[in-house]
Amino acid sequence: MSRGKVNPWLWVAGIVLLATLIALPFGLSFSQREVAVLLVINVLLVSSYRLMTLTGEWSLGHVVIMGVGAYASALFSKRLGVPVPISMLLGAVTAGAVAALLSFPLFRMKGFYFLIGSFAAGEVIRLIWKYFTNPFGGPKGLKLIPGFPDIGPISFFEPLPYYYLCLIVVGMSLFFLYRIERSRIGLTFHAIHWQDKLAESVGVNTFSYRMLAFVLASTFAGLCGALYVHYIGTINPNRFDVEEMVFVLIWAIVGGTATFYGPILGVVVLTVINEVILRALGFDTARPMIYGFILIASVLFLPNGLESLVPKLQAWRTSRRTAPEGTPASEEKA
Amino acid sequence: MKNLLARTRLDRRDFLSASAAAMSVAATGVVPKVAFGAEKTVKIGFLAPLTGAVAAWGKPGLDGCQIWADWVNDAGGIKVGDDSYKVEFISYDNEYDPGKARAGAAKLIKEDGVKFIMMLGGDTWPGVQPIAENEGMLVSTLLPSDLTPNTKTLIAPCEVHPIYNVTGVEWLAANKPDAKKAVICAQDDALGKPSVATYLAAFEAAGIEVVDDPLFFDPATTDFAPVMTRLLSTNPDILCLDTCYADYVHPLCEQAFQQGFKGTIISCTADFYPKIVEKTSKEFMEGFIFQFPDFDDPALNQPGVNFPKPNEFYAEYAKRYGEAEWGAVSWEYASIMDLWADAAGKAGSVEPADVLKAMKEGGTGKHAFGDAKWWGTELFGIDNALVGNWPVVVIENGKAVIKEFRSIPDWWDKHKDLMVKHMTALGQMWNQRG
Amino acid sequence: MSDLILQTIVNAVYAASYMSLIAVGLVLIFGVMGVINFAHGELYMAGAYVVVALYAESGMPFLVAVVLGLVFVGLLGLLMEISLFRPLRDNPLGGLIASIGFLLILQTTAVLGFGVRMAHIPPPTQEKIELLNGVVLTHQRLLVIIASVALLSLLYLFLHRTKYGWAMRACAQDREAAALQGISLSQVSRLAMFIGAGLAGVAGALTAPLVSPTPYMGHSVIVTAFIIIIVGGIGQLEGAIVAAILYAFVHTFVTTFFDGVIADITGLLLMLMVLVIKPTGLFGAKDRV
Repeated sequence: MSRGKVNPWLWVAGIVLLATLIALPFGLSFSQREVAVLLVINVLLVSSYRLMTLTGEWSLGHVVIMGVGAYASALFSKRLGVPVPISMLLGAVTAGAVAALLSFPLFRMKGFYFLIGSFAAGEVIRLIWKYFTNPFGGPKGLKLIPGFPDIGPISFFEPLPYYYLCLIVVGMSLFFLYRIERSRIGLTFHAIHWQDKLAESVGVNTFSYRMLAFVLASTFAGLCGALYVHYIGTINPNRFDVEEMVFVLIWAIVGGTATFYGPILGVVVLTVINEVILRALGFDTARPMIYGFILIASVLFLPNGLESLVPKLQAWRTSRRTAPEGTPASEEKA
Repeated sequence: MKNLLARTRLDRRDFLSASAAAMSVAATGVVPKVAFGAEKTVKIGFLAPLTGAVAAWGKPGLDGCQIWADWVNDAGGIKVGDDSYKVEFISYDNEYDPGKARAGAAKLIKEDGVKFIMMLGGDTWPGVQPIAENEGMLVSTLLPSDLTPNTKTLIAPCEVHPIYNVTGVEWLAANKPDAKKAVICAQDDALGKPSVATYLAAFEAAGIEVVDDPLFFDPATTDFAPVMTRLLSTNPDILCLDTCYADYVHPLCEQAFQQGFKGTIISCTADFYPKIVEKTSKEFMEGFIFQFPDFDDPALNQPGVNFPKPNEFYAEYAKRYGEAEWGAVSWEYASIMDLWADAAGKAGSVEPADVLKAMKEGGTGKHAFGDAKWWGTELFGIDNALVGNWPVVVIENGKAVIKEFRSIPDWWDKHKDLMVKHMTALGQMWNQRG
Repeated sequence: MSDLILQTIVNAVYAASYMSLIAVGLVLIFGVMGVINFAHGELYMAGAYVVVALYAESGMPFLVAVVLGLVFVGLLGLLMEISLFRPLRDNPLGGLIASIGFLLILQTTAVLGFGVRMAHIPPPTQEKIELLNGVVLTHQRLLVIIASVALLSLLYLFLHRTKYGWAMRACAQDREAAALQGISLSQVSRLAMFIGAGLAGVAGALTAPLVSPTPYMGHSVIVTAFIIIIVGGIGQLEGAIVAAILYAFVHTFVTTFFDGVIADITGLLLMLMVLVIKPTGLFGAKDRV
């Protein structure tokens, strides 16, 4: 793990990436831009999920927490008339607060039990949405949720402006997530993951760090929910069920979670395959099956995720430029 | 970049067709117009779930549309003004997800250039609503509960679920006057609740007592024995299965049979009812009342019915996809297309705004089951539901038979207060939703 | 009132028996291989569709179709173990994702082969026993109860009286230690996967005439199965059975005396209570993580 020192190659890649992202919508058809908006939101969702996994805990409630942010932001703006940009932040804060509350029962558990416990907590939240028609709208959910306010002639109903809005919000959030991971806090998360007893023995309060990771991840998940809901304009409890959670899990694992960019790679590649390539090829009914095969193939043949291809690619590039040498990929696996 | 190219190509095509039209004008009287007109194609979007658990409400409808398109195109297309248009359906699987429905609507409108979109509606409509409004796209839904005063371009021209259920209850009260005690069960979702309100209103109007609170169950339920035990514990004369999906109606009937129910069952649908007869008995299913006829029913050939060649449609559907695949939605999307084609012909245009105007002209329209009026302000806040007669279907000797067509507006005029009362109690009025 | 309660007990016993089959299979797979098999609900679905194909469409005797359902789905399980779980043995999350991939494949296969709508199965028998005035137990449901008790008893005997069963229990307790004792992990995993999947398959096959088989029916059982194995303690076979009985009785009684939605909430609350009070489940060990 190359922590602390900044890999210059990453910076170059980052700048190229940024330019590509800004130019991207112009190469897309209208409906692909719609997909791109959702994709950018999902990038933050899966990245925030990764922050959570740094402490070694895998949650099945992340999408429900996203829903908490979505419901909260929708209700703040629709029922209380809070301006949408502020309600979005409030939505994110609400999601973080709910996560803080959930920490107390959930962090009595670890590992597999935490996974299942988070699933249970999520189901309870979903049932609350379903059961309390006022204010949550019951099984049909909420609709006609106000959109992001227009700025001058720019209408955020259109996918292009909203794409850039999401890009800015998500970009800033990702930068923040990245800085956290590289900070002392991030190091402590890693320490808790690999050596929680040892960390405790040197005076680290593992509970509060686990809680911190959970609350931070949930706040950003809530922000994703808020970004989503003010674009689509409607939500219902089924949108945040365990099937959607499974997708987040798939993105993270197929991409790989050892690096910051792994889950992002996962969500981008899989979304492009599922939403763009398979649809364009005209597989309507058979689409889930092909997706299933791709999933299996990727975990079987890329056990360390798509991210493990990056060092290989890097090695291949260096070996082309200089004399052949050992692959640096082994370092990443440690 | 690609988008720009696509647009120029489109422009070129428009230019070509425009010049073709100009030529045909120049050549009037010399060359038959059809020779040019036959080249035209109008695209219709089909935006419904084609995969996933709700696919059963989309896929069979698309199959029915295929038959409709083949028939219309073989006959030379639809006549609009001086042109004949072939009809092409473009489907997009929205997986019953509002976000995907939005992307799908964008693709259908902006890239495929469709002139009309048919949807199942429900959860997916609110995702499409803003884009449909912005683009002025005409959209149809099977679920009129999507209608609100703001949905100016959304129509519910075929199914006025669940209002037509009152016709079955009215028939029941008239023909089985001894049945006085009813119970209701429904799945707890967007279809179940308004339907429960409708049945409660209809029972009250008919002087039938509902002896127990409506029993709601989760849509994921598979074992219906406990539900039936509870329902039968009050010894009802009438068992109302509300708008349960076929997956629930079958096991519910099986359980009612096994637990010894002897009264009358009334339900919104009874898809694949021959299989229910097989699971129970002919005697048990005798007199089962529901609302969706088989289209081989001779009663559909009555003069008032507007669905063209219903018996042939049914035969063709059974031939292509198998008789067992026939269900409530098989004919509905096709019947919406009839209405649309008729309106496009009247308007002399396929543009959404013109078609909608022609469709609603005079406040009446040709509904599949007879001429009907555009209605709905009191219930949905807008007159965009086409309401007229609806058939009452009863199983006799193992076969569904249309007993009569009953008028929904007649019932409404007499009992609308009851309906509003029960809809309000369950939070289903347009101003209570979302 | 007494007949209502008795009928509800009959309903609950039936629910408990098929839920036990599913939950025990899931627990067995988790216990031996450490993988959460997300495709378990789809294995149940596959069992139901074997009955659709062989009994409803090809006219084989029902019981033969059920036995073949067990074998076929068991073989599906074997296929999963050989092609997915063995290569991913050191990667439990990878196993989870692979099982989701497998789930999608099974689901789509059912859609392509049988259509998206419910399949129809003529009732193998309509006979019933009248226990009391108005309290009935149909032969079909009785068959499910008897078959579940028989299969679970067989499994118990197998686990406690045979060499393979003993090896399997050893693996469930501690895989590394078991391997050190000379137990072949591969063999035991194959066996566990065959039995676990077969139990889900036979549950689907037995109940197929009583439910409406659809390609998506797996969803409805997997969440219930999760709740049961959490309440019982993950990896605990006896716990799974007791929890299935407990859940079935609570759910059935609440459905009958309140309604189905409240019953679901009660089930979830039951699970939450167990998680908060004893996260390892009613029968769980102190800490297995």
